[in-house]
Amino acid sequence: MERQSLSRLVRGEFHKLFTTRLWLWLLLASLALTALYASLLIAFSDGSGTWTPPLDTAPGQQTLFAVAAGGTGTLAAVLAAIGVTGEFRHRTATVTFLATPHRGRVVTAKLLAYASVGAAFAVLGLGVVTAIALPWLSAKGIGLSLTAHGIPGTALGVLASVTLFSLIGAGLGALLRDQVATVVALLVYRFVAEPILTGVPALEAFSRYLPGPSSSALTQITLTTQEFLQPWAGGLLLTGYGLTFALLGTVWSVRRDIT
Amino acid sequence: MKIQVRGLTKAFGGRRVVDGLTFEVEPAAVTGFLGPNGAGKTTTLRMLLGLVAPDSGSATVDGRPYAELPDPGRTIGAALEATGFHPARTGRDHLAVLCTVHGFDRRRADEALETVGLAEAARRRVGGYSQGMRQRLALAAALLGDPEVLVLDEPSNGLDPEGIAWLRQFLRTWADAGRTVLVSSHLLSEMEQLVDRVVIIDRGRLVHAGPLAHLPGGQVSVHSPQAEALRTALEATGARTHRTRPDALTVTGLPCAEIGRLAHRHRIELHELTPESGDLETLFFTLTGGGSGSGSGTGNGIGIGAGSREGK
Repeated sequence: MERQSLSRLVRGEFHKLFTTRLWLWLLLASLALTALYASLLIAFSDGSGTWTPPLDTAPGQQTLFAVAAGGTGTLAAVLAAIGVTGEFRHRTATVTFLATPHRGRVVTAKLLAYASVGAAFAVLGLGVVTAIALPWLSAKGIGLSLTAHGIPGTALGVLASVTLFSLIGAGLGALLRDQVATVVALLVYRFVAEPILTGVPALEAFSRYLPGPSSSALTQITLTTQEFLQPWAGGLLLTGYGLTFALLGTVWSVRRDIT
Repeated sequence: MKIQVRGLTKAFGGRRVVDGLTFEVEPAAVTGFLGPNGAGKTTTLRMLLGLVAPDSGSATVDGRPYAELPDPGRTIGAALEATGFHPARTGRDHLAVLCTVHGFDRRRADEALETVGLAEAARRRVGGYSQGMRQRLALAAALLGDPEVLVLDEPSNGLDPEGIAWLRQFLRTWADAGRTVLVSSHLLSEMEQLVDRVVIIDRGRLVHAGPLAHLPGGQVSVHSPQAEALRTALEATGARTHRTRPDALTVTGLPCAEIGRLAHRHRIELHELTPESGDLETLFFTLTGGGSGSGSGTGNGIGIGAGSREGK
């Protein structure tokens, strides 16, 4: 008698994801957002008084590639959150937990599946930046090499950041269970609360530990004046947020009666 | 495989929904799990399936709690009320996902769809399914692993008469193959033709459990100008009678045909011979003291209790 292997459960999660279209819309939206960010950055890079470093320098090119994290991270987290909370919204949790009575394993499988999806979003986002930057910068007479100017490091940072944001989205979904609440919480936090928190000088000592600045720590790039930590510290923090949400969610929320 | 429920208790918000419930479900028979809406049927089934944690007591399949079954998907198949489907997923994809998780061959999905008569709609999104089609899809999901035990919660809800006839035949075949099936319902008239054994609960407690054949018989109302003579003849056979009017009796323990035959043999004139109600229904009202006790309706779809649907 075999127990369901974790890889089978992860494949099950992928199967669920790819039998609806949501992933496609969110992927297209995040790639469009990434393309928009990259295009704006290149288009306005040679104006006077621009706030980004010049694109013929290493910091400038790293900043350009780091926009992929901003473009895909939040929506990848939203996809993960919807994937987890959808089980409760559509009451498919009954079927899921009938098939796999060990709920912690279901949560683990979802974390792994959506972290992988986040990594894929990041890679595709970096691809979009590359596809825009290579011809455009060359037209401007700026040389761009994907293996120089610390770009591989930035790309790794983007990959880690988006992967871990997906982990946070899935973990938060497990904790809150409510789909609308989770998605709204993610979006409001990322686009409203965090910019305010990181803008308050008095909070600067604390705000660097928030998810957004932790993501900046991974790429070592920020478009604001926000201080950030070392990459490893940012990565640990993001992992910690995701796993803490998931663990609390498993113990408090997912284990609750499914009626 | 046997289902065993022992001292099962669950309270929601201080109200005991299931209260010290104990019963067994034997293989090779269709067991009806009956009770009015709100009696605790769905909660009991969800505890049996590990979805709701009991406050005390246990529910086991083949001696083990659901979560400890070595291979739940191949042991027990369940179709529960309020089971959800992702509206954008097709019926076939819903089953295919389960095949992936259980490690079943994808062909099982098509076979199960064929079995429940849903093959034609397999590639349509569940969002467009009727209630009856969802019931069939839930049943298909329960059948995927070719399990030994089947647990169905109100499976006839939303099924048309043809579907119900099909379900009856299906469950008969299932039980005849020596497998176990527990099927809940609040519709007595339907269940009477479907089940071999009954477990009846009310307000979370066991009211009656046993073979349907052992149920106390229903009553027959007889009108006759020679009521007293008929009464003597009937009581000689061991039937119990009750004189309701000078020219009317109610008879317990004999079917209409036997009463008519007896009257004919004794040359007693009969004016009316009416079965009072479905046996199960009478029994239910007698046992639970619920409802008006009129038992007047024997038509299709007469439910018991008017409470709201349990389990929300």
